[in-house]
Amino acid sequence: MSSIPSEEKQPDVWIKARDKQLYINPLPVRIWHWLNALGFVALILTGTQIRYTEMFNVMTFETAIKTHNWVAFAVIANYFVWLGFYLFSDKITVYHPELNMRKFFDKAFKQIMYYSYGIFRGEKSPHKVLPHDKFNPMQSITYQIVMLLVVPVQFFTGLLMWDIKRFEAPIAMLGGLGVINTVHVLIYIFFVSFTLVHAYMGALGNTPVTHFREMFTGYEEEH
Amino acid sequence: MKDGCSDGNSAHNYRAELPVITILFTFCLFFCAVLPAQETPKTKAPPTEANTTEVAAKPGNTGSVEVNGDEVDVTSRLEEILKQNKKCLMCHSKEKSKLLEDGSELSLQVHKQEYLDSAHGEVKCISCHRDIGNRKHPSKSTNITINNQRDYSVEMNDSCRKCHMKKFKEYKGSVHAALIAQGSTKAPLCTDCHSAHAVETMEAYKPENGFPCKKCHENIFEAYSESVHGQARINGNTIRDSHIQAPICADCHQAHEVTALAIGDVLRTTCIACHENVMLLHNQWLPNAGTHLDIVSCAVCHAPFAKRKFDLHLYDNVAKAPVAEKEGEVSIQQQLQAIAAEGAIGDPLEIWKARGGLDGLGETVDISLRSRMEVMSGVAAHQIADKSFAVRTCDSCHEPGWREKQNVTVSMTQPDGRRLSIDADREVLGSVEAVNSISDFYKLGGNKSRFLDILLLLSLAAGIAIPVGHFTLGKMIKEYMQRGDN
Repeated sequence: MSSIPSEEKQPDVWIKARDKQLYINPLPVRIWHWLNALGFVALILTGTQIRYTEMFNVMTFETAIKTHNWVAFAVIANYFVWLGFYLFSDKITVYHPELNMRKFFDKAFKQIMYYSYGIFRGEKSPHKVLPHDKFNPMQSITYQIVMLLVVPVQFFTGLLMWDIKRFEAPIAMLGGLGVINTVHVLIYIFFVSFTLVHAYMGALGNTPVTHFREMFTGYEEEH
Repeated sequence: MKDGCSDGNSAHNYRAELPVITILFTFCLFFCAVLPAQETPKTKAPPTEANTTEVAAKPGNTGSVEVNGDEVDVTSRLEEILKQNKKCLMCHSKEKSKLLEDGSELSLQVHKQEYLDSAHGEVKCISCHRDIGNRKHPSKSTNITINNQRDYSVEMNDSCRKCHMKKFKEYKGSVHAALIAQGSTKAPLCTDCHSAHAVETMEAYKPENGFPCKKCHENIFEAYSESVHGQARINGNTIRDSHIQAPICADCHQAHEVTALAIGDVLRTTCIACHENVMLLHNQWLPNAGTHLDIVSCAVCHAPFAKRKFDLHLYDNVAKAPVAEKEGEVSIQQQLQAIAAEGAIGDPLEIWKARGGLDGLGETVDISLRSRMEVMSGVAAHQIADKSFAVRTCDSCHEPGWREKQNVTVSMTQPDGRRLSIDADREVLGSVEAVNSISDFYKLGGNKSRFLDILLLLSLAAGIAIPVGHFTLGKMIKEYMQRGDN
């Protein structure tokens, strides 16, 4: 990817520096991220209430359903903010700075080793965050699978169940309501652990709040 | 001996009247032969309820009536019928009976006035009793044997068809006729509702007294008469300021083609026939209203105090109808019981197939299990309350702890149209193996599988264990390194 500027040749516009800080997360991404985070937590909680009515009674079933539906539509709309931003800006390169699989797996292995051992020894992350290369290989592959496959499937199955009668034909084509429901629940189960682990890894910066602060300000602090 | 039909006096009277009958017969023949020649010939119409002699020849009717394609004066025809009946009633208005094979006695008495006042008052006796002509009246010597009263009624039932062809055809397609074909001794024949000789007119069928359905369905009729429908009908209320009256039994179940409404979508269709804006009203507040109306029986919410159940039934996705047991298929009950017994550990549809359940389905193989939420009994289905009492909150069905309370049945439509339901283990709704079979059934929080519950627990455990483990491991490594440095 020769068009991607190297670390040494960063355009000035990307270094809206306040001292040594890099502007990594533009405003649309930050807005999307936090709305998405709130939405996902709300969906998981209302989803749990809907599914386990007999165990929890935090809110009425009707409230849980209505909240779940409204939040879901907000999250779907928000998804298109994210998608639009990356499709219609050059920032899409952050997911694929280089299309070199060998290099990718090599970096991924180093990243796993870092999180498994190096981080405890005080080593620096093998991935250097740059505006055009902000994700380490683990983040890159995970986020792509989540955002381009898992989340759309969850939206789609949820949408089908929102109006079962209207979507009778596609539901039948895909194996019936039982199948759609099971897929929706499996993804919900995945997001329960994903959200917890994601939040924990967000606390693995220089200080536990470094990455959270970065996600509010948009500036990457030097590690 | 009480066999009045075969006593000596009857035989004597019969012989004495022979000359009179012969003269009358000749007279009739003369009229039949001469009168048509004097009038314009008519096209012969097939016999229907509208043009049969018996229906047209009523007192007060004037003009002519068509008999076997010939026009006959009503008054003379009526006189002739009454004259003939008079001969029969001469003996049969008296207390007479016949000893039957089972030891019981069949009354041969016809209450004269009741008969003459009945809807059949102007129908010739021999129109129904076709085996008893003037020349072939049973006598002691003919020695007709009748097993029991029921057998005789079943045998005579066919005689209604001649005049009431359409109604009789409807009746033949009813659950009542199907039960009789199976040998039921309780299912009603025509005369059980309409009486043999004191045949009631339509006006006699009042909802207030439950006649004639209450005779067999007393509990259901009582539930109905206390329901919003029964009360409205009894009080003469009309629906929505129109002139539609609240339904009586026949309005939903049909008068002659009596159906068990719990089958498929019949009940919903019947309700919507009067409550045509039902979808609009439910859409205003009920999420997924269309689906709720599809899989929740109206009575589940509108008979709010009734017990509920989930009923799983086989659905033919090709024919788009519930699979019904065909005549001659056996052991369906055993299959259902097996499904019910083994449902908790497997897929009820697969169990059913494995037991040869597909044998009777011919080419059809695209079968799935569908579920409807129903009320537990037929009585409950009739306890429809005023809409102010109807269930209108999600929590009524999706309430905490509902899962432990729910009843599950597996059912099959029998050849007679009724549904045979067998209790099943409620766990069948959450069986992972049954996900594909019960693909068309889903209740929010309803058909949870233990497998998915365990996966969720593992996911939650991983979401906690990974951060805690990683954090702890980091701390241990740091301490170890610090100790090494020291």
